[in-house]
Amino acid sequence: MTQAILHRIASGDRTAVQDCLSKYGGLVWSIARKLLRNSDEAEDAVQEVFVDIWKNAGRFDESQASETTFIAMIARRRIIDRIRYSTRRISADSLDDVLLEPFTRADKAMQMSVEANEAAEAMRKLRPEQQQVLRLSIIQGMSHQEIADATGMPIGTVKTHARRGLMQVRENLGLGKADRLKEVSI
Amino acid sequence: MNKEIQESLIDLHLQRAVFGLDADEKQTFESLLADAGVGLDDSFDLAAAAVGLIDLQIDEPLPPHLQARVIASADEYFASTAAENETVDEDDFQKVLTFEPKRSWSWLGWAFAAVACVALAANIWVTRIAPAEVAGPTKTPEKTPVKLTPEQELAQLLASQASLVKANFGVGNVKELKDVGGDVVWSDEKQTGFMRLRGLPVNDKTKETYQLWIFDKTQDKATPIDGGTFDVDKNGEVIVPIDAKLKALGPELFAITIEKPGGVVVSKREKIAALAKVETQSKTNT
Repeated sequence: MTQAILHRIASGDRTAVQDCLSKYGGLVWSIARKLLRNSDEAEDAVQEVFVDIWKNAGRFDESQASETTFIAMIARRRIIDRIRYSTRRISADSLDDVLLEPFTRADKAMQMSVEANEAAEAMRKLRPEQQQVLRLSIIQGMSHQEIADATGMPIGTVKTHARRGLMQVRENLGLGKADRLKEVSI
Repeated sequence: MNKEIQESLIDLHLQRAVFGLDADEKQTFESLLADAGVGLDDSFDLAAAAVGLIDLQIDEPLPPHLQARVIASADEYFASTAAENETVDEDDFQKVLTFEPKRSWSWLGWAFAAVACVALAANIWVTRIAPAEVAGPTKTPEKTPVKLTPEQELAQLLASQASLVKANFGVGNVKELKDVGGDVVWSDEKQTGFMRLRGLPVNDKTKETYQLWIFDKTQDKATPIDGGTFDVDKNGEVIVPIDAKLKALGPELFAITIEKPGGVVVSKREKIAALAKVETQSKTNT
């Protein structure tokens, strides 16, 4: 069986850096561009994300998530932190723009990763309002306020949908256990 | 951990994963984790990351200059961690020399044993297991298949008994390209097809390329099938093979757009050079 790239990095195998860039460079770059919408800022963020990846490679646990999801998680964390600390919100599209996206190659859409397919399946089990809030927040990068403004929902409702929706997705993906936090504390 | 703290921690994990935390929230979060004696639970962030993968278009690799920056920072990072490890190793070595001199020589016995094992294994392989070299039959040179031109392949397809979809090209939304014409032939069965195009100008390959999109019955209109990129290098009629990246069944529309070299994953449809709408489906070739 091929050893996970992240395990190779954690064990100090320098050749794994190039493999990691070849396999996940596009993923990190896409997440950065999607959430930051500014090329210069996205480039700086990508560099920081990869340093985080080298640092956290040893924490990767394939029994919990795939490498793709783990790397996407590190990328999102770093980029969201960047956005919050720069006190500049993501310049999200208006709802209309989101709904009127230009056409996309079907083969790329079809090649959506296994992880994305599973997440899409997990999302389908949510209530429509929860799906909408999670799409706008996580996929489009909108803040509570922006979602409230765009949808007309009270801000508290937006938070509730986000909370319940993500809890449900977490459960549906088999990531969450009700007493997980308690378990860690023992 | 009491229920109230547990709820607060879940809330902050969720908030962090979906919207991020500001400085105050982050401080509260870290204090709560420390007070409760629990670690960060990645499962919330992993769930959000998985949702973030939905519809994510990974349409280009890292730009080369950015890749170079990342590699440089990786070199720097690994060099610094290696330096730290070396310092630690040297310290350990010093300790061994100072306090446990026997351990510095104890590996010798194991090394001799390992060398002996390797030598024995090599001897057994050479003398008893290694297969003798046997001269195999001389390989008959294979005939190089004759490569057909697109014209010949199109003629073959037209002459075949396959059911064909046919459509005529008309103008798109590029005003300058008002003389574009031609037709397209596609076989669902053979998953092959050709475009015969006229009036499409020679393109500067360094600046742009043509890209075909196939709208078929199986795909959503927002995600047509990429039919491949191509360049036009001569005036007059050109025959272009279709290079569908997915199985296309029952094409309804073929669109040729002008894109950057290499093509795109998402077409903004700003420059549609030609369109061919299929009027009748799967006409049997007779």
